[in-house]
Order: sequence, then C-alpha cells, then structure tokens
Amino acid sequence: MAIITKQARKKIWAFLALGMFSGLLLLPLFLSLPTGASGADPVPAASAKAADAKSVEKSRDVWYKTEGPVVGAPAPKTTDGPKDYPRYNFESRVLLWVGLQQHLYYGSFVLAVPIFCMVVEYLGIISKDKALSRKYDQLAYDFVKISLTAYSLTALLGGIVIFTFLTLYPTFFTYLSGIFRPVMATYALLFIAESGTLYIYYYGWDKMREGFLKWVHVSMSVMLNVIGTVLMMLANSWIAFMQSPAGVDADGRYLGNIWHVIHTTLWNPINVHRLLGNMAFGGGVVAAYAAYRFLTSKTDEERAHYDWMGYVAMFIGVCFLIPLPFAGYWLMREVYAYRQQMGITLMGGLLAWLFIIQAVMIGALFLTTNYYLWQGMERMRGAERYQKYIKYMVFVLIACFIVWLTPHTIVMTPAELKAMGGQQHPVLGNYGVMSAKNGAINTIITTTVLSFIMYQRGNKIPTVKWAPLGNSFLFGFFTMAYINIIWLAIYGYYIPANVRVGLSVPQVASTLSCLFIGVTLNALMLKGAKDTGPIAWGQISVRSQYALIMLATSFTWMMGLMGYIRSSVRLFWHVNEIMRDNSPWAFTHTIGFGANMISFNVLFFWMTILFVFWLGSLGAKKAPVTAPSGQKVPIPASSH
Amino acid sequence: MAEQINQVSTGKKIGFAVISLIIAAAYFTWLDYSLMNMQGLDYFYLFRK
Repeated sequence: MAIITKQARKKIWAFLALGMFSGLLLLPLFLSLPTGASGADPVPAASAKAADAKSVEKSRDVWYKTEGPVVGAPAPKTTDGPKDYPRYNFESRVLLWVGLQQHLYYGSFVLAVPIFCMVVEYLGIISKDKALSRKYDQLAYDFVKISLTAYSLTALLGGIVIFTFLTLYPTFFTYLSGIFRPVMATYALLFIAESGTLYIYYYGWDKMREGFLKWVHVSMSVMLNVIGTVLMMLANSWIAFMQSPAGVDADGRYLGNIWHVIHTTLWNPINVHRLLGNMAFGGGVVAAYAAYRFLTSKTDEERAHYDWMGYVAMFIGVCFLIPLPFAGYWLMREVYAYRQQMGITLMGGLLAWLFIIQAVMIGALFLTTNYYLWQGMERMRGAERYQKYIKYMVFVLIACFIVWLTPHTIVMTPAELKAMGGQQHPVLGNYGVMSAKNGAINTIITTTVLSFIMYQRGNKIPTVKWAPLGNSFLFGFFTMAYINIIWLAIYGYYIPANVRVGLSVPQVASTLSCLFIGVTLNALMLKGAKDTGPIAWGQISVRSQYALIMLATSFTWMMGLMGYIRSSVRLFWHVNEIMRDNSPWAFTHTIGFGANMISFNVLFFWMTILFVFWLGSLGAKKAPVTAPSGQKVPIPASSH
Repeated sequence: MAEQINQVSTGKKIGFAVISLIIAAAYFTWLDYSLMNMQGLDYFYLFRK
C-alpha cells in the first residue's frame, strides 16, 4: 500500500511538473496575444471613427503591400560619430562578428544535442534488448551532460552580444528592439522555460529512470525541443528581417502587425536551413567529443563505448547533412525571388568566390564521411569482401570533387588572361558551370549512399529467398542512377538556360531515390541475415577518429563561412533598403580577411569546447556500459 | 540459406541484372520527364528541335 501511495505521489508530481512546463511554454503566447491582436486588427471598428477623427496616418508594407497604421518611428538616419557608432580603438563590426559567431556556435550545439537526446532516449525505451536499452540511455545522458556546460556558455555569450550591440551600435539596436519588443520579451520568457526544463531534465534523470516516470522524462525532452526550436525561430526572425524586411513601410516605420515583421519572405527557408545545419553541426561536435574520449580512453570498454557513440553521432549528423544542400537551394531560390540582384551578388558577383570555398568544404565533408565509413568496416569480420570496390569509389569521389570545385572564372593578371585566351580555360572552363557541378555533387552523394549500404552489409549476408534478385536490383538501380545523373549533366550543355535549370530537380530526385529506395531495400534484405561476426566496437583505426574531428571542424568552418556570406550580402545596409549602415565599416572585407576571421572563430570555438569537454570529463564516471556478450572489444589498431 | 544464394547460376544473375537495368531505366526516364513537366518544362526539348 505504501508503495502504491509513493508511486501515486510520484505520478502527481510528474503531472504537476509537466503541467507547469506546458504552462510556461504557453505563457509567452498569452502574453503576446494583445500585441498580436492589435497587430492583426489595429483599429477596432468601434473606435474607427475616433481614429479617423485623429487622422491616424496609414502607410504601405514594403513586402506584404498591405496598409496599416504607422505605429513606430522611422528608421534612424545614422551618421559616422560617437552618437550612433561609439567605438573602441578597433573595428566594431569585427568585435560583434566574433561575439555573434561564438554565440551561434554554442546556440546551435545546445539546440541540436537535446534533439539527439530525445531520439536516443526514446530508442532506449522502445528497445526490447535490456543491455541495448541501457546503452542508449547512457548515450542520451552523455549527450545532455556535454550540452549542459555549453548551455551556460551560450547564455553568457548572448549577454556579451547584447552588451556589444548596446555599446557599439546603440541607434541600430534601439530601432530593432523597438520593432521586435514583443518578440524579445517572448524570447526572454522562453529562455527561462528552456533553462528550467533542461535542468530538471538533466538532474531528474536518475529519479525518472523507470516506468511511467521515464515517459514523463521523455515528454520533457519533447517540450525542451519545442521551446528550443521556437527560440531559434524567433532569433531567426531578426536576421531575416534585416535581410528581407516586412511589416514596416519604406521609411522603416512599424505598421503594428508583429506577425508580418516575423514572417518575412526568408524566415522559413532560414528556419529549415538552420535547423538542419544545427543538427549536422551538433552531430559533428558530439562525434568529435566521442573521438576525443576514444583517443584518451584507458580501457577497452571505454573505447568501445566512445567508438559506438562517435558512430551514432556521425550517423545522425550525416542524415541531416544530406538534405542540407537542398534546403540551401530553397533558401537561395527565395533570395533570388526576393531580390534578383541579391542572388547575383551572392552566386555570381562579389561573394561568388566564397561559394567556391564552400564547395571545397562540402566536398571535404563527403570525402571524410566516406573515409570514416570505410575505416569503420575494419571492425567487421566479413567486410573485407567490399575492400576491392573502395579504390574505384575513391576515384569517382576525387574526380567529382575536382569538377565540383572548378571555378567558372578565376582572378588573373592581364598577362595570364592573354596566355589563357580568355577568362575561361578552353578545357577546364567547361567544368565550371552548374551542369557539371550538379552532376558532380549528386554523384558524390550517391556514392556516399553506396558506402553506407556497404557499411550496413559489412558483417551480414542476406538470407531472404529473393536476395539474388534484390542484389541485382540494387546493382541495376545504382548503375542507372549514375547514368541518369551524368546524362542530365551532359544534356544540360545542349539546351537553353531556362530549360537547363529544371534538370537539377530530376538529378536531386535520382539521388534521393537511391537514398530511400536503396537503403530501404537493403534493410529489408538484411532482415534475419547471417552474421559473419559481431561488430567489434573499439577496434577501429585512430585515423577514423581524426576523420570525425575533421568532419566537425569542416562543419564549424562552413557554418562560419555561410553565416558571413548571408550577412555580407546586405552590403551597406543594417536593414536592407530601410536603414543604411553609415559606420566606417560598411564595406565588404576581402576574401582573405574573411577567411582569417572565420578560421579565428573556428579555432576559438574549438579551444573553448575542448575546455567544456575537459570539464565534462572531470565529473565523468567510468562508462558503465559493457559490450554485449559475444562482442569482441580489442585494443584499436595503433600503427598508422 | 546463404550457401543456396551463392548457388544461383551466373546466367540467372545476369538475367536479373538486365531486367533490373530495364526497370531502373524506365523509372528514371519517367522521373526525369514528370519532374520537368511539373515545372512546365519540356524534357525532350533537344529532340523536338
């Protein structure tokens, strides 16, 4: 009886906790309701006459083209001086750049990791194998433990960013916070809700380990992620507004509709792109953490645990990396639809060379992913049969990588230009166009999918009756997918540009067909497959762990680069076409300076995150999970 | 069972591969055509000229 009472009490407390957090989640909505309502219908019918009597000034929204009452002041016209741009003896923009970039790195990390936790903890609950269930639970706990210290740093960096803004760009910040006042208040409340939920989620882990309470715990992680995603979307609305303003008139005066200000044309593409990017980045950082722990492990058990952790994190990261280019494509398409000139500046003008650097980074990411998968096959007995194919895959990947990074035109001296006979090289110039590049990147992604399928089959032999047919179908499907992708790339050279642009859609669809049909068919074939030996977690080369670190560093560098590109495209505007930047730094930096700054930010982030890892390891208990019986956990190969 | 799979004759394997290639070719042609059509573009533009 006493036990029942105790359980009932626990349930009541759990419901109360969930109710409280649901309430906290909904609180900002209630608080912002009057503002939203006044935004949606700013002049109630009853008081319309009175408003008319006072002759409320109306104006037109720059984006939505709707009329609304002028509620805010016009965007300030700043001048270069201590009033609008107080400064230290340093470039203010660079200081803000560092602060914002660091805040973004940590923010992305702490938003992504709880999503992993939620998925992994759920997998642990539904898993029927108790040992595996414990393993998943420990992994989810490890994930959240890393993010906890990072969470404090994120908040700290957020504070630094606000102070930097207030100190160095007071006029601009006052204008922006005037428009986004209800959003900022909501943001602050949600941040409190996020912090509370995170701390209870983490510290309540042991108390809510079993039965019903475990479900409450997982529900809390869902809530945590809902709050985190909304927080990210609110922060995105500020940058989206700066790039493609809406909800204000041509003078920058707020027209009373907060939803228009939030929901600008680039808001949703940025939301999707950032969410996917955060997940890929978070996966990369956790994989790097696992690699670090693997490299510093003293026992085979620890090595096995962190090898497995690195693999899971890498897998999640790559799952989100694959759709990321398509989300980027959507974002760019919306940029072109919003202002064609902005798109041209990005991809064909001032910032085009940064996209070449981005291409190199994307290529490096996929090469590294493939390399890690091939290395991972070393820990499976039976995977040797696939080794002979790897050299051909390396050739395909390298050939495509070279095409992928070939620039359309290059910067040359007049003498070089003359020697080459024009801006484009007579042979290599043919590979610098989108037809070739689309073909190259789709071939790279398809090859990565193939590597993954090989990895899945590494220690398994299909035993289903239709296995010969399935194998033949996989062979036929991938062969035709490669032929189709390359055919479309070649076809693009012979048709006009307006038809050619459409070819990218079936190219992407071919790649995605391989991903979904290929992986699903392979998984079906592997049901009840014969094992050629267990996966010997921990028995992997040290090089593979450096590949994970390389993967994470590439993600970090690319995030810095793409953030810089997106921000730079505003050129000399604080808010595009609304509020001009009149500071002495309203110019676009050279590529070299930009690259150095990105590298500095990456280095700074990794130095601080290593500190976070070290802090995490101070309180770390010995990894309690042992490899399931029958699995070999040998010492990793040490000679490389 | 795994041994039985390996016992499938080479001729049969080639037959399966050819059928699979034909099915995949038909699928990708349909994919190219329909996705271009959805965008209001003509996949066979070059051949109609």
